[in-house]
Amino acid sequence: MFDKKFTRRSILAAGTTAALTMPFIRPSWAAPDQVRALMWEAYLLPDQITAFEETNKVKFVPTFFDGNSEAYNKLRVGGSKEFDLVQADGFWPQLYYREKLLRTVDYAKVPNAGGYLPEFQAAAFDVLSEPEAGGKIGFPFCWGAYGITYDAGKVAPEKTETLECMFNADYSGMLSTSSRFEENIALAALLVTDRLGSRIKPRPDGKPFNPYVLTDEELTEIEKLLVQQKALLLTRYQDNPTLFQLLQSGAVVAATEFAQVFRQLLTAESQGAPAVDFRHALKMKEGGLGWVDTWLVTSGVEDGPKLDLCYNFIDIMISAPVMKKIGEVAGCSTTVDLRAISTEDERKLFLMDRSSEIADLFMFDQPSSPEKWERVWSNVQAA
Amino acid sequence: MPNVSLRQRLLLYVPSGFLLFFFVFPLIALVVLSFWQTENYKIVRELTLNNYVTLATEGAYITFFLRSLMMAVGVSVTLVVMAWPIAYFIVRYGGRYRIILSLLLVIPFLSGEVLRLIALQGMLGPAGLVNGMLVRMGAAPLRLIMYSNVASFIAFIYLYLPLVVTTVYLSLINFDFRLAHAANACGANRFRVFTEVVWPLNLSGTLVGFMLAFIPTLSASLVPRFLGGPNGTLYGMSMSQQFGESGTWALGAAMGVVLFLFSALALAILSFGVDLRRTGFTGMGRQ
Repeated sequence: MFDKKFTRRSILAAGTTAALTMPFIRPSWAAPDQVRALMWEAYLLPDQITAFEETNKVKFVPTFFDGNSEAYNKLRVGGSKEFDLVQADGFWPQLYYREKLLRTVDYAKVPNAGGYLPEFQAAAFDVLSEPEAGGKIGFPFCWGAYGITYDAGKVAPEKTETLECMFNADYSGMLSTSSRFEENIALAALLVTDRLGSRIKPRPDGKPFNPYVLTDEELTEIEKLLVQQKALLLTRYQDNPTLFQLLQSGAVVAATEFAQVFRQLLTAESQGAPAVDFRHALKMKEGGLGWVDTWLVTSGVEDGPKLDLCYNFIDIMISAPVMKKIGEVAGCSTTVDLRAISTEDERKLFLMDRSSEIADLFMFDQPSSPEKWERVWSNVQAA
Repeated sequence: MPNVSLRQRLLLYVPSGFLLFFFVFPLIALVVLSFWQTENYKIVRELTLNNYVTLATEGAYITFFLRSLMMAVGVSVTLVVMAWPIAYFIVRYGGRYRIILSLLLVIPFLSGEVLRLIALQGMLGPAGLVNGMLVRMGAAPLRLIMYSNVASFIAFIYLYLPLVVTTVYLSLINFDFRLAHAANACGANRFRVFTEVVWPLNLSGTLVGFMLAFIPTLSASLVPRFLGGPNGTLYGMSMSQQFGESGTWALGAAMGVVLFLFSALALAILSFGVDLRRTGFTGMGRQ
């Protein structure tokens, strides 16, 4: 092939090769028979996906991500034509919408949207409203907070009413936080701005206080606080199983987390593990961080059969039985009212009667300057 | 013989093309990215040296690098010290079981690195085998091995010991021990035989083993992430954070370029600083 000119055989071979490789280099947006979702892996229920595929005669193609910034990058790099559905929490959906990565949605096309808890109904939940026109840009899915799970036998409940608990030398070597730098800094920001009193003063951006939008002075104080905290930590856990083990073994007595490990601990106790009085503080006196996961439709989806498929999928995902299953599998609270089909224990376990507390929490957001925040975090890690 | 020529060229072009696409091109992309900037998760395509200036002046990144360097040197030296007696024992006293014993070294590679690290986390953790036993006996748990640089050190030794033992073993198995006997017959004691005959003539194999442990330790991100604890962030872990959570890819790319250049430099020093013909290296032919 290298020594000769084009021959019938070489052209035939090249043609065959091209034909064989075409399916692999064909852009995925060219396929009309797929629903492509950029989502958290924890929410994937194989049975439901199979049923959706069989009913609608389409293939569901999920792509997973580990954090909002990763999802944002994938969506921006691939363009909204690469995905039909995307998940995001906190204020990220608004960012996506500003960047024209999302389209507006119609709640009337999704019957199960009528089952939302009052706090998450279309009229009440502004996080997913278009800033100007007021239309909706997505559907709430699961919710949670970044609170403190603690062993009430070793940490008095009143101590967890303040974030100082996570910086208390009495628990030196028995505290743990996640390795997520955004939430570590934002949570410390609540304490620092409360101490400095800078929260109630006019903010540089002219907007209400947001722990993800911080001044340089506040970041400096946060860095000092987090460096102090390092000496008190056993570790920054990488995953929930690690934290579960640390709390259950008693090596850690208080940890900031998404209440997922708290649920696992209570479940383990109900299944025979030694009884320990584990509790979860959602909101401290300085405030708390919260998140609401959502289902969003990308701007690449036009009106028509594809949009109907997306609505159909979301309708299934937010139906009460599926949400209940997702709550159990992913260990999160749901935005749909499941109290009628849940036991008393489940109501307590999944914080079903505490959903109103989400309104008082600061939503997960994009750091005001990822570069500055990264520098703060690196300084803390190197100290 | 056009067919022979085609086959020969294919044998050359396919791996070369693979290397070009999956090694050279990504490396060029990394270098280009390192001269750009990221701002709010967006790449600003303007040439700048800012990332390199940051790495050279910000204490945090220098600390990460020095921590990694110390860890890599410590781990590699310890591994060489540990690997030699094991490899020597297998070669000298393994007899007909030498092959089996050397194959046993490969067993840890049958499971993934993450799996091995999780197992080790279980061993060294507060509820692990070591501390669990200590607590049961009424003693305090050993904080030194829980989420610390010591825990990372143990993990590196555990992960790379088979590699270093294998390379030293492969070197020793090709060593002509009659040379050692000759030195011994001429009056050299065991220590002199080792330091003046066995060690120098197996230095190339030892150096390969050293580098096989040194380079991955220098760039490691998983071990410090799982076992390093709050004070255990190493250079590779910080670098992976730039590409993950913080989205500061340009700085991460600059960190990658620095790491690549340093590793290349270390290889060059070892390659050019050592006379390979005097170290048992047999790949240069007889001249």
